[in-house]
Amino acid sequence: MADTARSWAPRSAWADIAQAGQIGVAGSAGVIATLLDGFGLATLIAAPGGTAALSRAVEARLGIALPATPKIVSGASHDAIWSGPDQWLLRAATRDGFTNFLEALSAQAAVSDQSDARAAVRLSGPHVRDVLAKGVMLDLHPSTFAVSDVALTSIAHIGVHLWRLTDGPDGSVFEIMVTRSMVGSFWSWFAASAAEFGCRVTTGRG
Amino acid sequence: MSTQPFRLAAGGLIDRGQQLDFSFDGTSYRGYAGDTLASALLANGVRLVGRSFKYHRPRGILSAGPEEPNALVELRSGASREPNTRATVVELFGGLTAASQNRWPSLAFDLLSINGLVSPALVAGFYYKTFMWPASFWEKLYEPLIRRAAGLGRAAGVEDPDHYEKAFAFCDLLVIGGGPAGLSAALAAGRSGARVILCDEDFRLGGRLLAEKREIDGKPASEWLAATLAELESLPEVRIMSRTTVFGLYDHGIYGAVERVADHLPQPPAHQPRQRGWRIHAKRAILAAGALERPIVFAGNDRPGVMLAGAVRSYVNRHGVLPGRETVLFTAGDDGWTTARDIAAAGGKVAAIVDSRPADPARKALADKLGARLFAGGAVMAARGGRQLSGVTIRDASGAVSELSCDLLAVSNGWNPTLHLTSHQNGKPAWDDGLQCFVPGTVPAGLTVAGSAAGRFTLAQALEDGARLGSEAAVEAGLAARQAEPTPTTDPETNGLSPIWRVSGGRGKAFVDYQNDVTDKDVELAAREGFRPVEHLKRYTTLGMATDQGKTSNLSGLAIMAEQTGRTIPQTGTTTFRPPYTPVAIGALAGHHRGKDFRPIRLAPTHDWSKEQGAVFVEAGQWLRAQYYPRPGETDWLTTVNREVKAVRAGVGLCDVSTLGKIDIQGTDAAEFLERVYINGWKALPVGKARYGLMLREDGFVMDDGTTSRLGEAHFLMTTTTANAGKVMQHLEFCHQVLWPELDVRMASVSEQWAQVAIAGPKARETLRGVVDPEHDLSNEAFPYLAARPVTVGGGIPARLFRISFSGELAYELAVPADYGDAMVRALMQAGAPFGITPYGTEALGVMRIEKGHVAGNELNGQTTARDLALSKMMSSKKDFVGRLMARREALVEADRPSFVGFKPVDPSQRLRAGAHFIGIGKPAAMENDEGYMTSVAYSPHLNHWMGLGLIKGGTARIGERVRAYDPVRNGDVVVEICSPVFVDPEGARLHG
Repeated sequence: MADTARSWAPRSAWADIAQAGQIGVAGSAGVIATLLDGFGLATLIAAPGGTAALSRAVEARLGIALPATPKIVSGASHDAIWSGPDQWLLRAATRDGFTNFLEALSAQAAVSDQSDARAAVRLSGPHVRDVLAKGVMLDLHPSTFAVSDVALTSIAHIGVHLWRLTDGPDGSVFEIMVTRSMVGSFWSWFAASAAEFGCRVTTGRG
Repeated sequence: MSTQPFRLAAGGLIDRGQQLDFSFDGTSYRGYAGDTLASALLANGVRLVGRSFKYHRPRGILSAGPEEPNALVELRSGASREPNTRATVVELFGGLTAASQNRWPSLAFDLLSINGLVSPALVAGFYYKTFMWPASFWEKLYEPLIRRAAGLGRAAGVEDPDHYEKAFAFCDLLVIGGGPAGLSAALAAGRSGARVILCDEDFRLGGRLLAEKREIDGKPASEWLAATLAELESLPEVRIMSRTTVFGLYDHGIYGAVERVADHLPQPPAHQPRQRGWRIHAKRAILAAGALERPIVFAGNDRPGVMLAGAVRSYVNRHGVLPGRETVLFTAGDDGWTTARDIAAAGGKVAAIVDSRPADPARKALADKLGARLFAGGAVMAARGGRQLSGVTIRDASGAVSELSCDLLAVSNGWNPTLHLTSHQNGKPAWDDGLQCFVPGTVPAGLTVAGSAAGRFTLAQALEDGARLGSEAAVEAGLAARQAEPTPTTDPETNGLSPIWRVSGGRGKAFVDYQNDVTDKDVELAAREGFRPVEHLKRYTTLGMATDQGKTSNLSGLAIMAEQTGRTIPQTGTTTFRPPYTPVAIGALAGHHRGKDFRPIRLAPTHDWSKEQGAVFVEAGQWLRAQYYPRPGETDWLTTVNREVKAVRAGVGLCDVSTLGKIDIQGTDAAEFLERVYINGWKALPVGKARYGLMLREDGFVMDDGTTSRLGEAHFLMTTTTANAGKVMQHLEFCHQVLWPELDVRMASVSEQWAQVAIAGPKARETLRGVVDPEHDLSNEAFPYLAARPVTVGGGIPARLFRISFSGELAYELAVPADYGDAMVRALMQAGAPFGITPYGTEALGVMRIEKGHVAGNELNGQTTARDLALSKMMSSKKDFVGRLMARREALVEADRPSFVGFKPVDPSQRLRAGAHFIGIGKPAAMENDEGYMTSVAYSPHLNHWMGLGLIKGGTARIGERVRAYDPVRNGDVVVEICSPVFVDPEGARLHG
């Protein structure tokens, strides 16, 4: 059995679920989906009364303060994403050194590595809000959901963590993090919902 | 192909350059783009379109809108067939096929129309009176017969091939209705920059303006309409949704709407849904839904060719169809005269005008001008004809009766505001004596009503209301007020009316509710028999209970009841409405969530590998878990499961356990927290060890179990059962946030981070040795039972290894980051190959845990206590914990409360069944002899017989005793012996090997 002789190759949450290519209407990119992979991710929960100390520690190392409200704050290589009172997701562009970095933070926070627990996708394109309107029960209009706003909500009965990045050439840009085990159902919803606008799927680094 | 004999030579909002072929009942016809199915049928002279619900009477087209009670057809064919579709709102498309319904064998010749002859038996309440005896006949005979005879169209009966969607929208202002009031409102708000959504159910915006010949600002209304639409389209924050019906108003300004995305096309285009259900969150809404015209109750008022006067105008002016050659107008007000005028203007003939009001010289002059006989103060007593109207019986002011031939009777009796949405939150409409109709009464917060929907029936009022309310809504949404534009002026209009609810004296049935075949006599009968409150009237006669929800009938029914009981209409009752305004396909409510997308499916990190192995999967909550892994030649699941179990106990097997809940618990009070949520002790657990824990609900019953490992002084990893992972997390959060917020305990679900595999069997250690990096000592001494420590695998990949066992074998669980789950299982398969490593699924897992007497979901069923499960020794007496007190309640500690033991069949060839109840041998199977029940069973390939776990009175004290395991559902009645629940290796030698 040659195939069991594989090395320990990591397998992305998107493997066999989604791949680069075109969904739905051909030749149109009403929506652009970038499958994100290879990022480091961890839950940080401050000790009682320890939020300020944790924020200082993160800021000293990464140059980003932890947001006190549902926002994402981005630095050169890391994002701090609000995920509840005194609780954040810290995302690193790469997993290199991430474990050590988390180790260093563990004095200030309860740290749980979640790098493999979520699948993430960045969505843009002229019809991005039209697609999201088919699943997100929140108002994502630019007047009410500002750049860097974060929401914990659900899409197609699947819990998601969603935020808005700086606008791109086609307007709003969103990122969505989905529970790994449900990403197949998420993608089934997304592909069906985006098909009428045509969707270009690419891959990228988180 | 027919020649559309009733199509006018010119005029109408149809595209005569775009001919559309369609078929009705197998005959081909031709219409134009812009037609509805109803207008195209009328253009082709098709009058008879359906048979009525109860009497199978021939029926035609009554209206030109959503209120249509008669012209219900089956649209499309095969899997796409939609029954009870109103021909008046079906937008014509090329290739459309429709069929009449509720007729047999054919529409023209319907055998069941003899129901009309035996109609005395079919009056209100006839079901209750006629089919009373014998009772058993109801289900077997009467109901199937009635169901076949009565009823509407046929459902497709097969899966809907089309896709549906759900979507969410938000706006400052939702405008419901795209007529003059709605468009004015949208424009006024939109000009202020408000986010506006305008929904209109029609495929063309304009509302009544499309059906009328009116002037705005001295020009044809169509010019105002075009200019308004153009400006609305130029406003970026205004969204216009045609073909979209707002069907319901819900709490907090939420509106339900259905968008018919592709109903006007033969097939939805690729990647398009057929319909889309919308949930619209609106800060403000304006109901500008217009009004529905009211028929008059008189004998034969359902003959094909009797039509609402406003509908006639729609067909003439909008569709360029003159629905009859020889028209009689029966009117109770000025509005009907507009129909006569428009028919004459289109070149049609108005033979007579019957106006119920007294003579008036101006009306006489107008009738003369139209060349019509005028019966002032008269009434149409009856309409004649079979499959189509042939004439009417008119009583003039003096009481003299005359007959007149005609093929179209236009009936005008005023309009009812389309106020349905105002009553969806229990708002009661109010009777307006001046207008003689119900108008919106209490209106939900955030909603205002404009134009005809508010009983302000003139075009001038519609335009004025819309502009004013639209501006107000924008200001209320926080936008700056704008200088009001002058309200457009309109040509003069009058709307005098003195409605007539019923004309008595004609021969034949006079229908109140066309769709449910409720006549004026049925209402009288209800009054005589005491069913006088409007809710009783409705239920006794079925008035207003058809798919049209009484849009054309409720008020007439109420009026006749008022007349019968000597009360006014408001004294008699009001008509209220519930959602939906018009029928909504279930698909539009379900959206994407059907079939495999009904709910999310969770897949383990090893799922694809299991699929490669040919696994059969089972749903465990949202998860798909490998149930067993059949091999070629294995024809039944039991063979496979027996092989898997034996392979594990003889060598080694592996099973994905990633689906178990994993909760990372950190903080200086983490151990204290566990003390309080688990019944057993945790403070003494050393770092690097795991322990089995059991937690109770507040009421003392078992909530969940699992192992929890101490990863550090202030760091634990709790596991939960797959089924309860979410519930336990919620429970722990509740305990922390509400009960003990002072504790420093911080929790995160890490269920998704780790792929976890159980490796079980005497060769488990040797298998692991090939996977875990060599620097980690796995010997029994270095890594004993219940050790739980970080290791590395595959050359430095961080992993966690737990020596825990559900199977009773030497067993481990190895966890790696989920990205490596696939690699882990492949590496384990390779490392275990020399020992014949065998993947096993949840079935074999279940067999082995039953062999070992471990409780699982079947026992942790929410009705069992720790004591019931023979786990009371785990309950620490040295501390408090959730559920401690309530578990001591009298009934929960009664001596004969059933408790946990094992069972084996006395005759080893007998199969056991979970769910069987225990009864003493020789005792009858009755409730008073019930001693408990079997919770789990399995076939043990080691014992070569079935075995069971269960709860029985007396429990362990009765080991050796025999009882019946009685299962009347599956004809099971097996004598079993009560035994220890541990069937295999009771000493636990294998575990510690």
